[in-house]
Amino acid sequence: MLGDEAVAGAAQAARKHSSNRIIDTSSSGTDGLNKCPRCGGTDIQYSLTAKALVCAYCRHSWNEENAEQAFGLDSSIAELRGHTMASGTADIQEDLTTMTLKCQGCGAEVVINVEQQLQARCHWCRQTLSINSQIPNGAVPDAVLPFHLTREEAIERIDAFAGKRKAFAHARFKEEFVPDNVMGVYIPYMVVDGNMHAVLQGTGEVTTRQYTVRRRVGKDNYVTETYYDADVYSVQRAFDLLVDDLTVESAQRFDAKDNKQATNNILNAVQPYDTEKAVAYNSNYLKNFTSERRDLNVRDVDDEVEDRFLAIARAKASPTIGRYDRGVRWEQEGVAVRGTRWVSVYVPVWLYSYADSAKGEGSLVHYIAVNARNGNTMGSVPVSHPKIFAVACAAGSVAAVIGAVVGFGWFLMG
Amino acid sequence: MLPLLAELAADPATAMLLADSDSGAIGIAFPFLAGPGVFIAVYVGIYRYYRNTDKRHHFEKETEVSVGNLKQGDRRVGTNNRQKSRSMSGRNSTEHLTRVRRIKVQ
Repeated sequence: MLGDEAVAGAAQAARKHSSNRIIDTSSSGTDGLNKCPRCGGTDIQYSLTAKALVCAYCRHSWNEENAEQAFGLDSSIAELRGHTMASGTADIQEDLTTMTLKCQGCGAEVVINVEQQLQARCHWCRQTLSINSQIPNGAVPDAVLPFHLTREEAIERIDAFAGKRKAFAHARFKEEFVPDNVMGVYIPYMVVDGNMHAVLQGTGEVTTRQYTVRRRVGKDNYVTETYYDADVYSVQRAFDLLVDDLTVESAQRFDAKDNKQATNNILNAVQPYDTEKAVAYNSNYLKNFTSERRDLNVRDVDDEVEDRFLAIARAKASPTIGRYDRGVRWEQEGVAVRGTRWVSVYVPVWLYSYADSAKGEGSLVHYIAVNARNGNTMGSVPVSHPKIFAVACAAGSVAAVIGAVVGFGWFLMG
Repeated sequence: MLPLLAELAADPATAMLLADSDSGAIGIAFPFLAGPGVFIAVYVGIYRYYRNTDKRHHFEKETEVSVGNLKQGDRRVGTNNRQKSRSMSGRNSTEHLTRVRRIKVQ
């Protein structure tokens, strides 16, 4: 049992700091020109070879500051109290679809559809205009984890992944598979740190004796049975947990538990991402890639996050219940969350998606995804059921024949 | 193949053959168990290898976590003797994703 004093102390601390704290992660720049720090040019894009932003005029290359260090998001998790939220996780306003940017170069007003893009060229002076402020439509995260793997490396991995899965793949998939159609996509995640106290209660059993009993069945038959005696224990574990960088999907479309429209579990499976290396947002990182807008708020995902905290608590309790050789049945669980910190981060994925052309609209979208940081590759390849059925039948028949030879042999011997 | 398996399972003769473990008669059931068993294993195995429907990020193991201040409260409450199974019923200590009754923790 956890000491009452410790519990009371934690509860008191949590009450004292129960209000939400917002950390401003917006860049100081105003919307419009996003200039190269050396020459002032606006034609800037992320180069995968340099792994940095590169100015097209002066070839100056640089990266934004590490977001954790720049905004103080790396402070000790043990000291977190209440909810600390980076400003990029603010609630989304769905009605924000267009914005008017005033070009600081020539004064023209350019309308930009912020649901689709965060940059536009001024139609008069050709300067690139960017959304630099954190507009509340979910399109601007606190931090971006830039791509590391090149497109060619991703194509190679996707090709190899699908190449190993050709024999039983659907015929149309094989015909239509073009790995060059891979897209670079930024997917929004909430990255959560948590300081909590977890309590688990249940029942465990320890074997005290194992014995065999020979029992007579019918006239001449005997059956040997093994029995186990066990001591039953009430088990309780209480501990503090500091969770660092738990990631949770924050776009409904990529909800890992919903695989009805698309194989979202594939995107979930290519994790982890080294989110601690994410850099402060700069719209130029998103240029030439597509990005999915965050459409879930903190309160939409907090139940999921609590479930994940509990799952982590259960996993961490496992090494402490080794003595219960018959297992433990957890019956009650709970966490007292003392503090959390929320940051919205765009993570990079090379994504190949395939939907069966013959099935038309609404058919399942199969993804083959490559984590563009560490190269983890996972995918879903549509199968040809008749082919699998044929092979399984053949293997089953062979097994049946072998089973018959062995079985009848045994029968005749016995 | 599957209806055949169901039919086989429903057949009282199969049950008799399986129950009669002391004789070599169980051998007769071998082909009827091995065939459908291998069929299902091959079908599911290939399907999973292609579709990867079971793959996910094991966040509960891969997330960086520090644990401290562990308090254990274990107390013997009784015995459970003459059990046929090697493991207790309802064990869920390895099923980290299944949630149980939520309690309020102060």
